[in-house]
Amino acid sequence: MARMKFLCDAERCIECNGCVTACKQEHDIPWGVNRRRVVTINDGVPGERSISVACMHCSDAPCMAVCPVDCFYKTEEGVVLHDKDLCIGCGYCFYACPFGAPQFPQAGAFGVRGKMDKCTFCAGGPEANNTADEYKKYGRNRLAEGKLPACAEMCATKALLGGDGDVLADIYRERVTKRGKGADVWGWGTAYGPPGQQPAAPAGGAKS
Amino acid sequence: MASLTLKRAAGAWLAALVLGLAASAQAQSPAANPPEADFAKQQQAQQQSQPLNNQPVWKEVRSGQAQTSTVRGRETNVLIQSQGQTWRAARVTVSTALGGLIAALVLVLFGYYFWRGSIELHGAPTGRVIERFSPAKRIAHWSMGLTFVALGVTGLILTFGKSLLLPIIGYTLFSWLATLAKNVHNFTGPVFSVALLIFIFMYAKDNLPKAYDLQWMAKFGGMLDRSGNTHVPSGKFNAGEKGLFWSLVVVVSLVLVVTGYILNFPNFDQTRETMQLANIVHLVAALLGIAMACLHIYMGTVGMKGALDAMRYGYVDETWAKEHHGLWYDDVMSGKVPRGTEPAAPTLPQGRPA
Ligand code: HEM
Ligand code: SF4
Ligand code: SF4
Repeated sequence: MARMKFLCDAERCIECNGCVTACKQEHDIPWGVNRRRVVTINDGVPGERSISVACMHCSDAPCMAVCPVDCFYKTEEGVVLHDKDLCIGCGYCFYACPFGAPQFPQAGAFGVRGKMDKCTFCAGGPEANNTADEYKKYGRNRLAEGKLPACAEMCATKALLGGDGDVLADIYRERVTKRGKGADVWGWGTAYGPPGQQPAAPAGGAKS
Repeated sequence: MASLTLKRAAGAWLAALVLGLAASAQAQSPAANPPEADFAKQQQAQQQSQPLNNQPVWKEVRSGQAQTSTVRGRETNVLIQSQGQTWRAARVTVSTALGGLIAALVLVLFGYYFWRGSIELHGAPTGRVIERFSPAKRIAHWSMGLTFVALGVTGLILTFGKSLLLPIIGYTLFSWLATLAKNVHNFTGPVFSVALLIFIFMYAKDNLPKAYDLQWMAKFGGMLDRSGNTHVPSGKFNAGEKGLFWSLVVVVSLVLVVTGYILNFPNFDQTRETMQLANIVHLVAALLGIAMACLHIYMGTVGMKGALDAMRYGYVDETWAKEHHGLWYDDVMSGKVPRGTEPAAPTLPQGRPA
């Protein structure tokens, strides 16, 4: 069974925000919530790099560990999903997540949080696949349709890759060998654990 | 002629635009800011001397520093916030240790009750009563106490419900309960904070420490003497009650209020780090506070005969006052402290040892 992961190749990302827009469009995401964002390091300085980030679907997911109602679950493909019917909007997952993935639509005065929303790896939620109910709460379930996440599919430079971690690692290894630089795989150490315990870690890639 | 003026105007406009752009570029460019300009120069040099090594950029990935992002929102420009991992680990340690402490304390109190029983009066009740708490003081105490208990119970549901309740009552029911707990907690908090301030204001004077409190402490209020013959001096409040006032009511509760407000109103763009810290402090203070409150509630109800009357009716029997708060009793008898209003009707239920 494939272990789904995201990989963003900072040597290729051109900060076009196409992935952000693709995600918003695909899932009809409400105002104020962005499941994906692009962050630029050292903007405007030689050597600047941009990285697209969303939920990384961590191996030992911190959000899952701290949720007081235990509403997260992991699919067989390693995708971390949650049940909005159980979520109480306490914000603990947002405190715990290293990537700032959980988002909250405002549900009242004084910043009262609504049900948490985050990237689903385009895999929907607990409802039956691609029902109206599932779409309304979590957006489209592309994995069930045999497609990969919309953000990665849309990426014009193929900087953002989403899919089976082994395949991503192979693609990345080949890229690094060809261009002879840019071996840094962003976020994998944080999301998927130390290199030794990480299935499908690209060889020689420095983890950050 | 007309076209020439137009051309000139257009030229002047263009020149102004170019100058303006240049000026704004100047303002934006890092060169306007010396440290940033230095960094830009270093990066330029690095790109030439070591084109394959972009270490300065990668160093910043896990730094938690603010970067640049066009997506607006709280801390959207931070790539990795590592403190969440510390917070996650700290919660487990704190809740296990202090949750265990509360459980142990409840067991000890049960044990103490079986060993010592309720602390009885030695003498017979006189039937004459002294006013201990005015209605205003009782309302203040009950408001604070009841909201505290509501906050404590709902808070405990949020902290321990996942391990203790969820396996028994299931996901749907527990989620419903947790939603209720969260909303009750979030709305009761501000009420508690007002009641708390009023209470502190009303009760502080009688809780000022006195030299004789040391004697009470040395003998631990005679609580470990099963015969109940240990004599300890006590004013309106004994040293134990005073200790509880300053620790639980003043320090712990004020800490709970401050951290609670930080958590309750996430609309001020507090950073995650602030919220993580506030949550841990809130959790520690809450569990310690609940443990102290257990002691207090034990003594005020089953632990000592007659103590609850003061809170229910506002009056206590003279014998109770003499045996438990001797110095206060002396002051009342000598007229140094007002005896309070006489009850309109017999206040303490008849036939009960007050
Ligand atoms: C002004 C007073 C208070 C305010 C505004 C307040 C607010 C909060 C908030 C916002 C939370 C986070 C969970 C949620 O969103 O529901 C929380 C958690 C909690 N509170 Fe309070 N609170 C207050 C007083 C108290 C008191 C007096 C106690 C204990 C007697 C208490 C015990 C707890 C506990 C145990 C938690 C769960 C902590 C955790 O599991 O991380 N709180 N409180
Ligand atoms: S990235 Fe954040 S939200 Fe996604 S699995 Fe990891 S901790 Fe959970
Ligand atoms: S906000 Fe919802 S999903 Fe996040 S920890 Fe709280 S209950 Fe769980």
